[in-house]
Amino acid sequence: MSLKAFHVVFILASLALCFGMSAWAFWQYSDNESSSQTHLLLGTFCLISGICLGIYGRYFLRKLRDVSYL
Amino acid sequence: MKFAASGSQNGENRMQTSSAHAHAPTGDAHGSHPHHDEGGFLKKYVFSTDHKVIGVQYGITALVFLLVGFVLIMCMRWQIAYPGKAIPVLGGLLTSVFGDLASGGVMTPDLYNMFGAMHGTIMVFLAIVPLAFGAFGNLVVPLQIGAPDMAFPRVNMVSYQCYAAGCIVMVVSFFIPGGAAQAGWTSYSPLATAIPGMGQTFWLVGMVLLITSSLLGAVNFIATIIQLRAPGMTWMRLPFFVWAQFVTGFLLLLAFPPLEAAGLMQLADKVLHTSFFLPTGLAMGGELANISGGGSPLLWQHLFWFLGHPEVYVLILPAIGIVGEIVACNTRKPLWGYKSLVYSVLAIGFISFIVWAHHMYLTGMGTKISTFFQTTTMIISIPSVIILTCLFISLWGGSIRFNTPMLFALAFLPMFGIGGLTGLPLGFNYSDIHLHDTYYVIAHFHYVVAPGTIFALLAGVYFWYPKVTGRYMNETLGKIHFWVSLVGMNLVFMPMFYQGMSGMLRRMSDGGAMYSIAQTPNAIGGLSATIIKLNEYVTHAAGLLALAQIPFIINFFWSISNGKKVESDNPWQATTLDWQTPTPPPHGNFETVPTVVRGPYDYSLPGAKADFVPQNQNP
Amino acid sequence: MEIPYTVEPRKDTGLYNAKVGIWLFLASEVMLFGALFSSYILLRVGADVGEWPRDLLNVPIGTVNTLVLICSSVTVVLGWAALKQNNFAKYRMFQTITVLCAFAFVGIKSFEYYDKFTHYQVITKDGKVYDGHLHSRTAEQVVLQGHEIDASKGKAEGVRKAQKADKHGKEIVIKTSDIQKIGNYGPKHNTYMSIYFTLTGLHALHVIAGALVIAYILWPGARMWKTEPERYANRVEVSGLFWHFVDLVWIFLFPVLYLL
Repeated sequence: MSLKAFHVVFILASLALCFGMSAWAFWQYSDNESSSQTHLLLGTFCLISGICLGIYGRYFLRKLRDVSYL
Repeated sequence: MKFAASGSQNGENRMQTSSAHAHAPTGDAHGSHPHHDEGGFLKKYVFSTDHKVIGVQYGITALVFLLVGFVLIMCMRWQIAYPGKAIPVLGGLLTSVFGDLASGGVMTPDLYNMFGAMHGTIMVFLAIVPLAFGAFGNLVVPLQIGAPDMAFPRVNMVSYQCYAAGCIVMVVSFFIPGGAAQAGWTSYSPLATAIPGMGQTFWLVGMVLLITSSLLGAVNFIATIIQLRAPGMTWMRLPFFVWAQFVTGFLLLLAFPPLEAAGLMQLADKVLHTSFFLPTGLAMGGELANISGGGSPLLWQHLFWFLGHPEVYVLILPAIGIVGEIVACNTRKPLWGYKSLVYSVLAIGFISFIVWAHHMYLTGMGTKISTFFQTTTMIISIPSVIILTCLFISLWGGSIRFNTPMLFALAFLPMFGIGGLTGLPLGFNYSDIHLHDTYYVIAHFHYVVAPGTIFALLAGVYFWYPKVTGRYMNETLGKIHFWVSLVGMNLVFMPMFYQGMSGMLRRMSDGGAMYSIAQTPNAIGGLSATIIKLNEYVTHAAGLLALAQIPFIINFFWSISNGKKVESDNPWQATTLDWQTPTPPPHGNFETVPTVVRGPYDYSLPGAKADFVPQNQNP
Repeated sequence: MEIPYTVEPRKDTGLYNAKVGIWLFLASEVMLFGALFSSYILLRVGADVGEWPRDLLNVPIGTVNTLVLICSSVTVVLGWAALKQNNFAKYRMFQTITVLCAFAFVGIKSFEYYDKFTHYQVITKDGKVYDGHLHSRTAEQVVLQGHEIDASKGKAEGVRKAQKADKHGKEIVIKTSDIQKIGNYGPKHNTYMSIYFTLTGLHALHVIAGALVIAYILWPGARMWKTEPERYANRVEVSGLFWHFVDLVWIFLFPVLYLL
């Protein structure tokens, strides 16, 4: 597996983390009696980061179209 | 010689070609050092990146530690047979080194524990694995696959250096105050953490170094076998030994890191006073220990045996590989069921990762888990039996040459068979309740490792010695060595089955005298006088075994300069590529890249000129 | 004979030697961290009720650190891609950012460590539990900025409740003569802290090692770009693979240690 392929795997894992974590933060914000503004901010921040990463991922795949996955 | 293969030339020509090769730039590590072989003694023998030199380094170091481990157990055997009596010959030395631990030349229980722990550690991690994997693997694998060297020569050198550093740490630990580790080679927590002194810390540091060495070695071997096979050397044309080493490499690669993790955690327990393996409410020395608690002693055992069981196959697979090579060569016929052998070795590799908890039936981990591991344990015996059966059938109808390597290889088969079959009652959790932690266990695994693996390794030493030195080892001394060793091994380990089944436990520094009927006449299940008396016989047999090694040691050194010279580069008239090189192989191994055109064991091919056709030749 | 496939890939495997080597090494690393993750699970399952801390670590700081690592992985790949396009200057810029990111990560991590080493828990002789950051400590008394803990449902659960109710707490003065046990949140505080320090410490060592390798290839080892550009690009790729693995470990470590 080349660096390119591993990078795709890595970005996918990061995406899962970003969206998972933003879900976690929103859940903490809504569910908990002692929820704080931090959780709301954190959730939004992770959501935006995830979207940015997704856009970057598309750009990356296009840019390195000619490089082998092996 | 008529049979001489393409690589065979007479002495003078060889000298020229090998020196010509020394000046040729050879790939990765050597590109910047064109005069690699002329770097003086240090560069040539100590900091060499040549796989053959590293193999010899591994071999010599490991053989020395094989002897050290043997001396340790001889001291212990004396104490078992004659508890409280001064050890002859070595007693004075022990007193001067260990002081109070061996006052008057008598072994104390602490010293017994220390020697017991270090005997296991040295034999497994410092002697047999380096000999089987490091020495034979390094020497033979690149030659057999037709490669000029390992894939990463410098990593190979670092691997040996890590091993040497680990050896030094282990040896030094004997001489620190309090002595070496005492908690057995398994180092179970909390015992290992509770014993005062630095011995266990040294053990752990040594283990981390040895594990690093094994990891580097394993990466190197697997990469070499995948990448550096000569043209035409397809997977199913690989000699069986290479397959065995390939699977061994994966076992080391994937099983050792969990022990490294466990070692780091135990080191933290010891140095940073964490509680990874120390439960809540643990008492040490009659007082509640000042720790946070909450840890799990079972965790250590799981992590240890996750390495520990694949490690058993690390010990046996290279041995099986060596025996396969020697059997094929000396029966002058192909190995029977080559493909079954290969698939069995692969199956063992996979299954060995899911059998580890059969060492832990008595820990209270639960009957359901025990049942699972009992099942997998029974399943893994199937490929083992297939391998043994294939090797036995390979003998059928062969015209066997009974030279020393073949004798050792032949003895390996029934000895390993006994070791394997006596393992079945230990694999069933019901019968294991009776046999666990008795001498039966000791007899079982020593049958696998001592007359099993060590015989195969000795066979390998006799077999490849001519390739490394250009001379045979002496046959007469070799045969004396073999027959006395065979008798000695069986006299040592066979009685232990009986002792174990009668209930004699292991790791008792008085050889069970405390539980004998003589001491407590009314004890239920006390050990009879016969059982205790057997200790003496076993110790005498161990003495015989020790004497049997003297001809080997003499033979090993004497033959370097005085052994019978080989008639050709292929003295055993073998087919594999390791014999198609000059003797000894120069730096870079082959003059030209060999092209493989056939399978590994084309002996007695109908229509061929000779009774063997090397892998790189047409008949 | 030269060692083949040091630069160009072998036909049937499609790989050069170093790539096979690094992947095998990473497989062993997976087992190393896998064993520690398994230990985490076993220790957590076996912990006494209320003694496994939750919400103890600072999530925003951890998130920033995660982003730092993700960024560094992106720059590693872009640097390698630039090298493949023969743009050495761009490669050097990206890899410099990678190394800086590694330093930033280790810096933030050491700040977190420092925070834990100054976080104390005190048990007094009458059985009360106090928890907070150390303000000052003299021979006579200890001053904590924190809370008194209701330890009836476990100390860790008590700390969590108190911190939820009031983040900063108040100043607490405890006489040395009253103290039965005092200790910071170092590795020996409890099994959670032990596995936290072991996992993150081992990971930090990997980050430092990876950064050193990348920095070596970037500056002292850059001569090779002139003599053997392909081999140099391979080196960058192999170090990048290691770097990605280290970052991927963090992607798993972070939610396990900070969020769950």
